[in-house]
Amino acid sequence: MLRYAVERLIQAIIAIFGVLTIVFVVMHLSGDPTLLLVPQDASAEMIAQLRSQLGFDRPIWVQYLEYLGGLAHFDFGISVVQRVPAFDIVVSRVPYTAMLAAGALVVAIGMGIPAGIIMATRRGGWLERLLTAIVVTGQSVPTFLSGIVLIFFFGVTLRWLPTSGSGDFASLIMPSLALGAISMSTFARMTRISIIDELGKDYVRAGRARGLSLGSVVFRHVLRNAAIPVITIAALEIGNLLAGAVIVETVFAWPGIGQLAIQSIQSRDFLVVQVIVLLISFVYVLTSVIADFVYALVDPRIRLVR
Amino acid sequence: MDAANPLLSVDRLTIDIGGANVVDDVSFTVAPGKVMALVGESGCGKSLTSYAMLGLLPPAARRTAGRIMLENTDLAALSERQFRKARGKDISIIFQEPSASLDPLTTVGSQIAEAYRVHHGVSKAEAYEKARQMLVDVGIPDPTRRLDQYPFELSGGMCQRIMISIALICGPRVLVADEPTTALDVTIQAQILDLMKKLVADRGTAIVLITHDMGVVADIADDVAVMYAGRIAEIAPVHDLFRQPKHPYTALLLASVPKLDDAPKADLATIEGTVPTPNEFGAGCRFTERCPLATDKCRTEQPPLFDCGGGHRSACWHIDRMAEIREVAA
Repeated sequence: MLRYAVERLIQAIIAIFGVLTIVFVVMHLSGDPTLLLVPQDASAEMIAQLRSQLGFDRPIWVQYLEYLGGLAHFDFGISVVQRVPAFDIVVSRVPYTAMLAAGALVVAIGMGIPAGIIMATRRGGWLERLLTAIVVTGQSVPTFLSGIVLIFFFGVTLRWLPTSGSGDFASLIMPSLALGAISMSTFARMTRISIIDELGKDYVRAGRARGLSLGSVVFRHVLRNAAIPVITIAALEIGNLLAGAVIVETVFAWPGIGQLAIQSIQSRDFLVVQVIVLLISFVYVLTSVIADFVYALVDPRIRLVR
Repeated sequence: MDAANPLLSVDRLTIDIGGANVVDDVSFTVAPGKVMALVGESGCGKSLTSYAMLGLLPPAARRTAGRIMLENTDLAALSERQFRKARGKDISIIFQEPSASLDPLTTVGSQIAEAYRVHHGVSKAEAYEKARQMLVDVGIPDPTRRLDQYPFELSGGMCQRIMISIALICGPRVLVADEPTTALDVTIQAQILDLMKKLVADRGTAIVLITHDMGVVADIADDVAVMYAGRIAEIAPVHDLFRQPKHPYTALLLASVPKLDDAPKADLATIEGTVPTPNEFGAGCRFTERCPLATDKCRTEQPPLFDCGGGHRSACWHIDRMAEIREVAA
């Protein structure tokens, strides 16, 4: 188990290091940012002066080491637009996105997994058909459209919920639904398939043969076995939620990092964009490490052998 | 066969899949402490028969007729809720793939204890103590440590001993064993068979053994029912069946078992043709197309099980011509 944990952590560190490097290279491939910072009519001398002031005239490996050195001190640079540390700008937006992602996750897991269980165990009933319809809808409607439809229906027509903003719990409901809908469908489908797969296994018949009802076998044995592929999906979905947040935050004017990313790209505030990309990558890697540890908790074959 | 006082009697059991009788009019009885073997090749309906005895037929299969009498109770007439109370308590089953029959994520101790707690309202500690005792009975050394292990930590033979513990912990009167040794290697097979023999002797459990292995039959069975394409071809005490088969299928089947004194590299004896699929079942005897004794009567009329005396019965119109088969087979 200790070896397993150490292996996973080393893999995670390598992955994060790879992300840092790729972000650095892509930033440089996309061009020298100096040109974006000078006025339109700047002379070649002024440009060269600013370039050497910012350090972009040095060899790329020197810049790379400096970049890594800065990251080691949590120095992500100063936003060229707002003139405050890029890291502070991003951090001030994180709580909003975290709240939104948590709300979406509650929608996705809280609705998706029970729906999947019902679809797998009540096959052929009206409830299964109803849930299938909801799941297919959730899966096929793009987030920007479902967001606008929700605003129109609950915000404008019924006036039950605020159409935008981030003041209170009520304003969290619609963005969470819009962001969680696709994940909810993914969870429902994966849970359903995984349970149906398990129900065909010998240990289910053997469980019934010792006098358990089918419901008890599902509750006591099948769900745990079916959880393993669902955990994999959960780790990936958390990353996808952050990506989806860019759209949902824009539609609902939600002041999280997604909205900040769009604003920063438009104003070419590349250091802020870089921090956001690093943050999302870090969350991705972190959730997959957590998933690896959850596997080990659920499955003794991982916990005891490796 | 001890027909006077059967514990379990399967009476004219018929099972339908997609309009074909894949188990057709199957009857046999088992007395306490006896082993009845159901033999036949893959797809002859022997496993379906065993699942029907536990009320665990797959969704596509339906019992259309017949009774499964456990003493005075017809199991087949029970509701699912009532049947559940009998499963594991009055009648148990062990399967072909012991490792796959255990939940991989739960300790074997908890699975054995669960089998006891389903039927008895006792504390977890008490059920674990029962389970530990059961492991001693099935010959597992160091039972206390084994209880906390997971199926993947145990060998196939060990898993089958665990399955036997689960099956017997509530002291059922009938144990159905569906090819219990097929997935195990030969030395472990012998150990499991010895264990089953001992359990029969100690507890008076009746065993219905499903197998296609004539060696296993000779080792452990008291009576044998040979099934072919869903029907019983011949049923007899084990020695009579091996010495004096009275159905052409049984005779050819026994002739196909290689013997130690066969010439080296001699061709293995086989039965010509293939088993009919369910939609090829005709009105007559289902073995007709492969039978050297077949006549027009065999094609059109299904032979009943004729009583040959001494509990030996055979579903063949030509029992008197069995000498010819011995020539064919020789």
